[in-house]
Amino acid sequence: MASEFMEIDDASKKFMAPVGVPSVTVSLHPLVIMNISEHWTRVRAQEGKAKQVVGALIGKQTGRKLEIMNSFELLLIKIDNDMIIDKAYYTAKEEQFKQVFCDMDFLGWYTTGVDTPNESDIKNHKQACTINESPILLKLNPYAGHTDLPITLYESVTDLVNGEPTMLFVEVQYTLATEEAERIGVDHVARMVSNETGESSLVAEHLTAQYNAIKMLHTRVKMILEYVKAVQNKELPKNHEILRELYSLTHRLPVMQSPKFNAEFYTQCNDVALITYLGSITKCCNNMNQFVNKFNILHDRQGLGRKVRGLFY
Amino acid sequence: MASTSQSCIAQKSWELNNSVEHISSVDEIFKYDKKQQQDILIAKPWDKDPHFFKDIKISALALLKMVMHARSGGNLEVMGLLLGKVDGNTMIVMETFALPVEGTETRVNAQAQAYEYMTAYIESAKQVGRLENAIGWYHSHPGYGCWLSGIDVSTQMLNQNFQEPFVAIVIDPVRTISAGKVCIGAFRTYPKGYKPPNEEPSEYQTIPLNKIEDFGVHCNQYYSLEITYFKSALDRKLLDSLWNKYWVNTLSSSSLITNDDYLTGQIFDISEKLEQSESQVSRYVLSGDLHEKRVEDKLSKATKDSNKTTIEVLHGLMAQTIKDKLFNNVFYKSDRCQLVAMD
Repeated sequence: MASEFMEIDDASKKFMAPVGVPSVTVSLHPLVIMNISEHWTRVRAQEGKAKQVVGALIGKQTGRKLEIMNSFELLLIKIDNDMIIDKAYYTAKEEQFKQVFCDMDFLGWYTTGVDTPNESDIKNHKQACTINESPILLKLNPYAGHTDLPITLYESVTDLVNGEPTMLFVEVQYTLATEEAERIGVDHVARMVSNETGESSLVAEHLTAQYNAIKMLHTRVKMILEYVKAVQNKELPKNHEILRELYSLTHRLPVMQSPKFNAEFYTQCNDVALITYLGSITKCCNNMNQFVNKFNILHDRQGLGRKVRGLFY
Repeated sequence: MASTSQSCIAQKSWELNNSVEHISSVDEIFKYDKKQQQDILIAKPWDKDPHFFKDIKISALALLKMVMHARSGGNLEVMGLLLGKVDGNTMIVMETFALPVEGTETRVNAQAQAYEYMTAYIESAKQVGRLENAIGWYHSHPGYGCWLSGIDVSTQMLNQNFQEPFVAIVIDPVRTISAGKVCIGAFRTYPKGYKPPNEEPSEYQTIPLNKIEDFGVHCNQYYSLEITYFKSALDRKLLDSLWNKYWVNTLSSSSLITNDDYLTGQIFDISEKLEQSESQVSRYVLSGDLHEKRVEDKLSKATKDSNKTTIEVLHGLMAQTIKDKLFNNVFYKSDRCQLVAMD
């Protein structure tokens, strides 16, 4: 009896392996996230209701580091009551993307859904395994709240469960890839409505971005401070791991203090000051030039009949 | 009062039972109405008016894809196709894809090389529910601004003869990074021989000396469309949550270091322009009535360029100073176990 209850409880977690050490580090580009979101939104807008969507992830792999850079949609076909990925469609698309992104490979696949991976995910994952030995599964939850990114990455391991080798999923931690152009694009798209007022100052835009980032930093630091205060007042139990990390973090401040850094920093400041100086001189020269031209015109008007050009030249 | 809440409850329970989902109007744009599009294609309202399309809406995803693709090309021009639809006087770009083409600035209709790829891609896209058709092309001008070169104008005129409705988008990934904002332009050419009635001077752009002639000869043969962007509700949510992790990248970016190549190039360019303007200034001749005010002399243009570079450099330094103040001016006093902030 008890074991039956256990099974029902674990039904949703049936395919999750106990927490282990993941074998790869993954960095994810925001472009992929936008791709998946658009795919899901588009299907929903056209069909009238939300459906599960499936697609492939491509990118670069060097050793144990994976960089997921792009993605494209895959076709699901119905075979004997199951929704399976259409292999022929995939091969056609693979040929296409190899022409444009020649150094990217198939790294895994994505799907949308609410929970941890289930039965159909396992089947699709096994299919993906035929293309790449150890593919990554990315699951996006389109109904999640606003706080954290509702994206989880899994990789598969084969474990012995009840004496049989079965495929289980292990969650993999990922970081967001940082490419400067991408960051600017994402920033622009995220805050696009704010600049409709017309009178936009360049400095204000630039500083607003910095201000928002600093605000986030401030909230995070405040949170840490409150945690430490609570621990000090014995409201919360001490978590030594967190305290150790905090200690090492504060010990890293100040970040750069060597005299060499100061010298380089001041050199950079001087360079910028020099450019500013040159810019102002150029502006001044231009103003002077305009002024002299206008002055000459005014004076020439007065002496029109006399043709004394050489005088003002 | 009671009756309205009753009907409210009734409506909600009906909706729940029938799993009616509200697609917010924001996401309506993602729906492709085939009949409506075909009607528009048959009617061809753009034939009579060369200035028919006034603005263009680009989806968040399309913008990001174009920026990433342009950036991945480095200093080489890249090109791709736009997929989308038409809505009144607005063109809508939903998606883009890259084309395996090289050397887009050296020949007209470089797209011809990729016809097979294009048709295959659009075919397979239709199978996964992407029903839009090609509505334009984009290419990058790394480092020299968003405008149409002579070759681009010829290509676009060809496109507008055979593939209407079609738009040309130009994106500059290098200036995007240096200025910190996306540098992009959308253009449509006028038919040959058409003289635009009211020519307003477009926003001034810094063009490097070696391209200035090409720009000047053709700048009156096309006009630019007003660009706005749109995103879906899910996009908005994801972007918000993305910010929770991404703010670190904003703080840690240092544009002075990423852009130093481009900056050096700009300074060389400005110095050459100043030399040229010097010769013009010394030849300034008094003439009775000065010609139209729109022709600015070279010195003013060089001044605008140097202003732009100076501003960008100052922004970079601002970011560095902020970081220095935040992270370097705190000291750890081990005897009192406190972090002391220095002014």
